[in-house]
Amino acid sequence: MSVDSAPPAASAAGAAAVAPHYDFQDAQSGDLGALAAIADAMKSDSLADRLESLKRLGVLALAMGEERTREELVPFLDESIDDEDELLLSLAEVLGDFVQYVGGPKYAYVLLRPLENLAAAEETVVREKAVESINKLVEVMDQPQVEEFLIPTIARLSSGEWFTSRSSAAGLYAAAYGKVTDAIQAKLRAGYDALCKDETPMIRRAAAANLEGLVARIEKDHVVSFAIPNFRRLAGDDQDSVRLLTVEPLVAITKRLDTDECRQLLGESVQRLCVDKSWRVRYMVADHFVAVATNVKDRGLQDELFGVAIALMHDNEAEVRGAICTQLDGLADLAPPDAIVARLQGPLQELVDDPSQHVRATLAKHIGALCRVFGKDGSITHLLPLLLRLLKDSFPDVRLNIISKLDAVDRVVGIDSLSQSLLPAIVELAEDKQWRVRLAIIDYVPLIASQLGVHFFDEQLSNLCMSWLGDPVFSIREAATTNLKKLTDVFGVDWARATIIPKILAMATHPNYLYRMTTIFAITTIAPSVTPEIVRDLILPALEGLVTDPIPNIRFNVAKSMEPLTAALRRSPETAPLEGSVIRPTLARLEEDSDPDVRFFAHRSLLAIGSA
Amino acid sequence: MGVDIDSCIERLYLGQILEEREVEQVCRALRLLLAEEANVVAISAPVTVIGDVHGQFYDLLEIFSIGGRCPDTNYLFLGDYVDRGHHSVETISLLACLKLRYPQRIHLLRGNHESRNITKTYGFYAECIHKYKGSAQTWHEFTEVFDYLALAVTIDDSIFCVHGGLSPSIQHVDQLRVVDRFEEIPHEGALADILWSDPDAEIRGFGRSQRGAGYTFGGDVVERFLHINGMSHILRAHQLCMEGYLVQFNDRLSTVWSAPNYCYRCGNVASLLKVDPYLQRDFITFEAAP
Repeated sequence: MSVDSAPPAASAAGAAAVAPHYDFQDAQSGDLGALAAIADAMKSDSLADRLESLKRLGVLALAMGEERTREELVPFLDESIDDEDELLLSLAEVLGDFVQYVGGPKYAYVLLRPLENLAAAEETVVREKAVESINKLVEVMDQPQVEEFLIPTIARLSSGEWFTSRSSAAGLYAAAYGKVTDAIQAKLRAGYDALCKDETPMIRRAAAANLEGLVARIEKDHVVSFAIPNFRRLAGDDQDSVRLLTVEPLVAITKRLDTDECRQLLGESVQRLCVDKSWRVRYMVADHFVAVATNVKDRGLQDELFGVAIALMHDNEAEVRGAICTQLDGLADLAPPDAIVARLQGPLQELVDDPSQHVRATLAKHIGALCRVFGKDGSITHLLPLLLRLLKDSFPDVRLNIISKLDAVDRVVGIDSLSQSLLPAIVELAEDKQWRVRLAIIDYVPLIASQLGVHFFDEQLSNLCMSWLGDPVFSIREAATTNLKKLTDVFGVDWARATIIPKILAMATHPNYLYRMTTIFAITTIAPSVTPEIVRDLILPALEGLVTDPIPNIRFNVAKSMEPLTAALRRSPETAPLEGSVIRPTLARLEEDSDPDVRFFAHRSLLAIGSA
Repeated sequence: MGVDIDSCIERLYLGQILEEREVEQVCRALRLLLAEEANVVAISAPVTVIGDVHGQFYDLLEIFSIGGRCPDTNYLFLGDYVDRGHHSVETISLLACLKLRYPQRIHLLRGNHESRNITKTYGFYAECIHKYKGSAQTWHEFTEVFDYLALAVTIDDSIFCVHGGLSPSIQHVDQLRVVDRFEEIPHEGALADILWSDPDAEIRGFGRSQRGAGYTFGGDVVERFLHINGMSHILRAHQLCMEGYLVQFNDRLSTVWSAPNYCYRCGNVASLLKVDPYLQRDFITFEAAP
């Protein structure tokens, strides 16, 4: 390559001890020295250098100009295909964005050659990136280019001897399909048929996985004549790893067909997938159940499918039962409401007692969605007892999931019915040994508070919220202060002034420094949500005592808090003068503190408020 | 210093290791700082004391989640930051940067694993080579720093803190103050003993240690040491405790262990120890980070 090269001695000597560090900082296209460094680094012994230079390839290409990039740089890159996987991956990515350097979309095809080689690489991630990059190029290529250059690439890859190229080929059909003539489309379909029948399961998996993309682009007749037979073949494959990949194409196919066609052409395959002997296939079906069932459209078939869903709720495999639970919301639309209520009652009861805690947790997350179909009376009669039982589950996630979805219940039933059981459940979670469980419940408190109202909160939850401020675990104390701010936003400043602020400020004299610190954190967090008057009348006086606290950690946190407090005071002309009369002198004193960290934070706060 | 220490700390909290040249700069600056520290550093409570961490970086983050962040909370680490766990580089890098940034708020003692010989065998060397693409430079830098770490801390002249335990060569703390610590841990002598010894409730006086370095020592040794030095308690680490901590000899000596599920298979609980301004001691136990 005829770019000026730095003397080779540099790289040889450098590679011996520590890898030479190429300084690419100034690699603008005019700087020949830096360009030489890039070119040189590409041949370096050190992988790190080759990677770095690859990232700057665009700069080199700009300097070389479009023609030389096409005729020299790209072929050079093609030759360096035999390299480490990390480099090949980076190259595959870079080439996908290289159209701009080779002269624009009409020259995109020159990049196909190196990418085709990369698509046949041994390492999966390299192949996948190469396919992704080719598909990017196809978007900007015009029809003649696609036909002249991409189709032969696809043909070569599809008939490659190694499974690597054939499996990559499967990913290229969909994008190409829309940009070729009918005759070539027929050839593409024939090529894909062959992939679906390939003797290597890996290819059939690739064919199944990419079928969805193709289905979206082909004409309706071909959905019936091409996609469905391939789907059926793959859905009956002897490898479950192939069968399970047909569920998503199935959904795509159902979207293209009308009601009758679905029943006639797909009914049997769908049902067979639902009772497949491999739990992984059943899991895929369960997980996509609503998508499959809704698009099937035929009411009779949907009803049958609903029966299948119930069967899946009794599946042997916990993963499958869990997956169908995620579909409860959509399932409820597959039959008339009375039928839903009648047929789901039994299975729901059993799921509440499921031996797998994961299943119960998933149920807890989605059962609330059924309220809208059961209606107010139906929910109170049938669902509420189940929710209450789940609220007492031994596994914390189950209880947390119920609480997280209370709004769905509230909209239909009103939370008052739940509140009796809710409080003990919340208290128990709030005192759980595992601090992460305690943390999760704190996050929900503002939501519950806003739904249950200030009265309920003051009576039942207020003490709990304050006790969290004194939790032994720091993260809980931190979450508790954020919680108080959110509650202030929900219930208003007057409420905060009357109930929580006095309690926070009372902690400012606690003998344990970690709790005095919590006061400062709480004040700082809440400051944006309260009035400047509160800052002046309540907060500043409490902080005064802490300015001379014996513990330096307290003093420097006081210094830090001055910044948000100043912002609060500035919001009102009445309180703004306090900045000059109280805040600044305080910070000035702290700047002279004996502890270096106190001095640092005092100074920093002064700078922060000074500049405003 | 040429390196942006706040940026280093931010990245380390996210689990990103520093670049090699940043490690060099941090270590160089840290050695200058530590050279000014005495062998026995006097600090004041309140402080949260942490035992062995052994490269369990995510459990170190758990410690900060539970105990509070540095600098808001004061910390004393009793050594053994590296080896055995898979993230010794991240662990020692973060602690080094925190010490450089907040020298009054965090103190780091030397443990028996802060040694060239030991780290070559128990994983830190190999991890450096792996994470820095074949270069041993960072290992050299860190092990240089280890030579500078303080040996002991006294909290309000009352609580004596070391990594391992006591030495027959050291009856009075002043004897420890005059040891030349700026070297690789020797096989024997006061420096080795302090970092390797273990208490033993079954013996009196000093006994042979199975570890091959240091000694075992009984409750009478502890009493005598505390009496001679006018202190009330010894805090140390160095030994795995299934419950996270162990208090012995009539509440005169405690072992703090802060590596939960040690080596990812022991299934033990870990602890951190909060010492308040009145020298009350309060253990908080915790499990491995999920």
